[in-house]
Amino acid sequence: MDAVTLIPVAVFLPLFPFSVVFNALFEHFSHPLWRSAMLLGWPLIGIYLLPVDMQSLPDWITIWASVTTILYGFRLIAIRDMGLWIGFLATSAWCLLWISIHAGMSINWLYWSALGFSVPLIMLVMIAAHIETWFGAAYTGLYGGLAVTMPRLSGVLVFAMLAATATPVFPSFFIMLRNIVGSTPGIVAVMLAVWLLWTWAGAHLIQGLVVGSGAGEQVQDISKGLTWLYVLLIVVLLLLGFYIMGGRL
Amino acid sequence: MNIAATDIALGARLKIRSMVHMAAEPIPFFWPMRTFIHHNPLHGLEDIPFTEAVERGAKLFHGRTFLSRKLYQKYLAEGEINQSAVVTAIQNFVGVHEQINGIDLNEWLVSLLRGVEYPITLTNTLASADHVHAALNGRDIGPIEDMVPEKIESFLCDVLLDGRPVYEIVDTLFGTDIGNELDKLVIKICLDFFDEGQSVWEMPEREQGFFTAWRGVAKRNLRFFIRGFHISRILDTAETPEGIINFVMQQFGIPQDQWIDYFTHELSRLHGWVGFIRWRSSARHYHWANQYPADLVDFMAIRLTLALALLNSRRIKHFTYTLDGLQQIIQSNTIEVYLRYELYGKTVLPEMALCMERAIQLGKREKLEVVFYEYVITKRDHEARRQAAHLDSLAMLSGNHDALMQLSAIDLSRLQNIIADFEKQEGMIWLHAMESEAIAHLLNRLTPEPDNNKSESGRPFAQAMFCIDTRSERIRRHLESVGDYQTFGIAGFFGVPVSFMEHGKGSETHLCPVIITPKNLVLEVTVTQYQDIVAITTLEKALHELKESVLAPFVTVEAIGLLFGLDMVGKTLIPQAYDRWRRHLHETRPPTRLLLDKLNRQQADSILRAVQRAVIEKAVVQEFEIEPEKITDDIIRDIRETALGRQHRADIFAHALNLDDEVTYAFISRLQSAYRINRDFSHRQIEQLGRIGFTLDEQVTYVGTALRTIGLTKNFSRFVLLVGHGSTSENNPYESALDCGACGGNHGLVSGRVLAQMANKPEVRRVLRRRHGIDIPDDAWFIPAFHNTTTDELRMHDLELIPPSHLVYIDRLKNGLVAASKLSAHERVPELTPDTSRQLSLAKAFSLAQRNSVDWSQVRPEWGLSKNAYFVIGRRSLTHELVLQGRAFLHSYDYHIDPRRRLLENILTGPLVVGQWINMEHYFSVVDNERFGSGSKVNHNVAGRFGIMTGNISDLRTGLPSQTVFKDGLPYHKPIRLITVIEAPIEHARQAIEGVVAVKKLVHNGWLRMIIIDPTTQSACLFTAGRWCKIDLPLMEEALINAELPENSSSEERSAP
Repeated sequence: MDAVTLIPVAVFLPLFPFSVVFNALFEHFSHPLWRSAMLLGWPLIGIYLLPVDMQSLPDWITIWASVTTILYGFRLIAIRDMGLWIGFLATSAWCLLWISIHAGMSINWLYWSALGFSVPLIMLVMIAAHIETWFGAAYTGLYGGLAVTMPRLSGVLVFAMLAATATPVFPSFFIMLRNIVGSTPGIVAVMLAVWLLWTWAGAHLIQGLVVGSGAGEQVQDISKGLTWLYVLLIVVLLLLGFYIMGGRL
Repeated sequence: MNIAATDIALGARLKIRSMVHMAAEPIPFFWPMRTFIHHNPLHGLEDIPFTEAVERGAKLFHGRTFLSRKLYQKYLAEGEINQSAVVTAIQNFVGVHEQINGIDLNEWLVSLLRGVEYPITLTNTLASADHVHAALNGRDIGPIEDMVPEKIESFLCDVLLDGRPVYEIVDTLFGTDIGNELDKLVIKICLDFFDEGQSVWEMPEREQGFFTAWRGVAKRNLRFFIRGFHISRILDTAETPEGIINFVMQQFGIPQDQWIDYFTHELSRLHGWVGFIRWRSSARHYHWANQYPADLVDFMAIRLTLALALLNSRRIKHFTYTLDGLQQIIQSNTIEVYLRYELYGKTVLPEMALCMERAIQLGKREKLEVVFYEYVITKRDHEARRQAAHLDSLAMLSGNHDALMQLSAIDLSRLQNIIADFEKQEGMIWLHAMESEAIAHLLNRLTPEPDNNKSESGRPFAQAMFCIDTRSERIRRHLESVGDYQTFGIAGFFGVPVSFMEHGKGSETHLCPVIITPKNLVLEVTVTQYQDIVAITTLEKALHELKESVLAPFVTVEAIGLLFGLDMVGKTLIPQAYDRWRRHLHETRPPTRLLLDKLNRQQADSILRAVQRAVIEKAVVQEFEIEPEKITDDIIRDIRETALGRQHRADIFAHALNLDDEVTYAFISRLQSAYRINRDFSHRQIEQLGRIGFTLDEQVTYVGTALRTIGLTKNFSRFVLLVGHGSTSENNPYESALDCGACGGNHGLVSGRVLAQMANKPEVRRVLRRRHGIDIPDDAWFIPAFHNTTTDELRMHDLELIPPSHLVYIDRLKNGLVAASKLSAHERVPELTPDTSRQLSLAKAFSLAQRNSVDWSQVRPEWGLSKNAYFVIGRRSLTHELVLQGRAFLHSYDYHIDPRRRLLENILTGPLVVGQWINMEHYFSVVDNERFGSGSKVNHNVAGRFGIMTGNISDLRTGLPSQTVFKDGLPYHKPIRLITVIEAPIEHARQAIEGVVAVKKLVHNGWLRMIIIDPTTQSACLFTAGRWCKIDLPLMEEALINAELPENSSSEERSAP
């Protein structure tokens, strides 16, 4: 397969340095709807652009994807802006789709996987937008204590974060697990490393936003209706997780 | 950096020592948890007025010293705060400020307190009143002034060079976490050194002292080496801790006149540990301190060494860790330093945080300048608009919006200043108003007995002396209600300071307030032979040791893990039944007596001889494996005389056992060193024996003083109960906090037994009658008893000593006590259940209280001293009709029998001071539970068997846990200063107060509220705003509030200088 034909795919299933395009756009278009649309559509375009003979992908692309996923996972740890954080996590997660492709997964599986990674991130985008409304930016380590001032939003944030960072029994966890089953030790090591990095970064983000005594300012929590909507989404994700797990491992 | 060890001169060393000790003065002592002592977290600041002390304490300990406005508003709505007092205080405040045209300040401030939940004064660093004025009027705020970098430079110098430790400045400018890392390292070292047997592996060479032991370990610490700490380079500069302190402070470039402040900053970061070390270094009787000495100079040297090592390991480019260096950087690089201060100091506007972070990372001057000016304008506008919005909403609330809009910039500035000033004083206004309500509540219901009331009551069935503890109030009330009982309140050690040595234990426990050091030792001896180690105890000990060792859990968990599982199931599911079953397994404690009488020289010699004989016999049996029967008295005498140096050879012994000279000499030497049968130790033991017991005079004095203090000098009942108190709970490191504070955080039963044993002696009674005129009839019998405050049980002790003639009345007495217990539990237990309105039967309430004492999952076995508010010193008739709901310390006192005020002075010196400590401990634990309290019990861990930490590493938690003072997230304890009432003629009480310096200081500095109720004139006198004010009784609310006003002088009586 010609490497040049892979370039558009490498932009949409972002591999470094093409990943810069997605992250620059993601940072530039800060409206939550734009960001949600990007999170939803970007990997789907990438999968759509995949050549028909996916199996003939060169082996080095897996290494490249592994390096990219680790690189962005590592960068996540030091990122304090939640918007950037989501973009980096998306980049790191979508790179894993290359590993699925290399493992010979079907196109349908890839679409589901992309959704499994993106939906929790869309929830995080929405939550970040709400935080920005009250504080000017969703930035860790400045105000903190959202658990005190916005308990409903904090609860949802924690669960969305767990879903985004591939915590059992959310879909992203099973997607990663599926990639591990039957793969090479190298891939297993990459998966475990990236999982560790995501978890670490997620804990950092929660610690910087949710934990603490609060800024002492009057802020408004999300409505009960919206909370239930988020809860519903989380339940759907959980069910999706079980569905993905069912008989496929 | 290789600097030869050059230690400083003795004078300089002493100077550094004194500086460290002076720096630590604001930090209160912290006693080990085994004997939890309630203390005022701001005890070190009691020399200054309360208002100033809370301000200084807030800065020093970074804690809140008043509740939030939102909570005070809640209390106001619930009637816990006197509304008129708030309004009057506002009027008073407004009265001393110049009026602003068109602004009704009264209305503004009332609206502020009633309708706004958060302070509206913002810390504006860039926006001036002009900017706020422009924002308020919707005008453009304007361009940034030219002087901004200069203003910023001066601002940075003020906030960064304010005496804070150098690493804190580095953390603020570089986002590092050196301060927390340093704290953790120091805590780990403290845990290693101060451990009292919790760790399996001990820190080596602890006998050498804190600094020396650590120095030895630190130089060999591989982790330090790997992290690039180069500790040795610092430690090699001096041999002594003072030398190290001197070296590091010079490295930081701190001028010597700032060292004390610098040290105070350092010490206050871990005020729990520092308080413990401070106490420990002054506790001469404390075994662990004698064994492993440590003081704050050691602590400071270790801390500064690590601080320098940590800073050196960071190696930040173009940055020097000296005060001058920091100042230069601020001057030469103001813009970058400011941006760093904003970003890492967490004061940045969140919307600009990302762009600021990137500019700093990039480090280009042009980029930094662009971001700086953009940021400064944005922040200034943001501050101006926020401040304007706050003022705008307050104006709307007070219906004064138009007036606000018409204000000039100058008037607006004045208005802002007035509001800021008011918000600073607001805490005291709320507190005063809350106290006014509590004072009115009490004074209106007190019933001072007229002085001419000479009616003599009949002989009660029984009299009972209870501790003044607030928890006694309930049980006293109920005991009085169930029969012909008369109760008294007295400090729980019954006025007898005792150093107690429990049977089977080798250490002394001080049973008295911590401000007193007892001189007399009381020994507990058994009546019957006590089998020390029974099978079940051995098994328990073995299991415990297995649990604590490092490797045992890995190999034994499968074998014996199930046993622990059963224990857990029993404790969790059926705590009461399981506890009963476990108690059956243990041998009942044998009856004991207290050795109370002074020994004469002959008796002391005889005891010493007996002990030494027993030791020698055991030593011979053990060393030579011969049967005890073969060791004759002559042999023992021969060995003893030789060991004590009274003869040169132990021929009888050597001959009897066929020993050569070498073996005999070796044994005698061993006896002298290992078994301590030598002349020096014998002298010391004789001195110790001299401390045992009380002389007859002392006994008479103690009994007489106790009885006269509470006014019990005649009309004695057949039974006089001396009720000590304590608590029982499971899995509760704070158990001793629930015990008797007057007994140094121990159970009060022993103190009751001591006084009872003294008072029952015929010779004591005889001298008492002759010398003090107190005639205790022969049929009056003093019985010690124990009040378990967790279960409300009252249990009498030493019943076997009761004269046969009294036994027929015992059932009636027991029934009365049981009834009082049940009634008290019935009143108290609903407050411990989630649903306080739930109606419980007497039996159910009593059973729930019992369960609380054995339930290991119960984080709140009882409320303890929560809600304490009052300290009443007077006759029982004053409070007899009142239901004080366990909120009052009640000390009995009859001024008629104290014409020279000595007894009252004693009450003020001891019990009142302890009460004030308890009250302040509760106050500060409520207003800032994280900083002055100890947070949630759920995350607590026992540290070194003497303290509590949150999680696996933290400062020692010094205050009360949230479960003790909060319920459902809201304060259960209402934080007010202790309202003290003395029933006595005004001049009598005033002179007593002025005569006790410690109490005079507390009253004059406003650490407690003092009221004198004069039964002769039926009037009251309140100390407020630096003066005594007379108030007529019954109390009119307005009179009280007017009395509180500083400018009111109609009824003023200046306090004595």
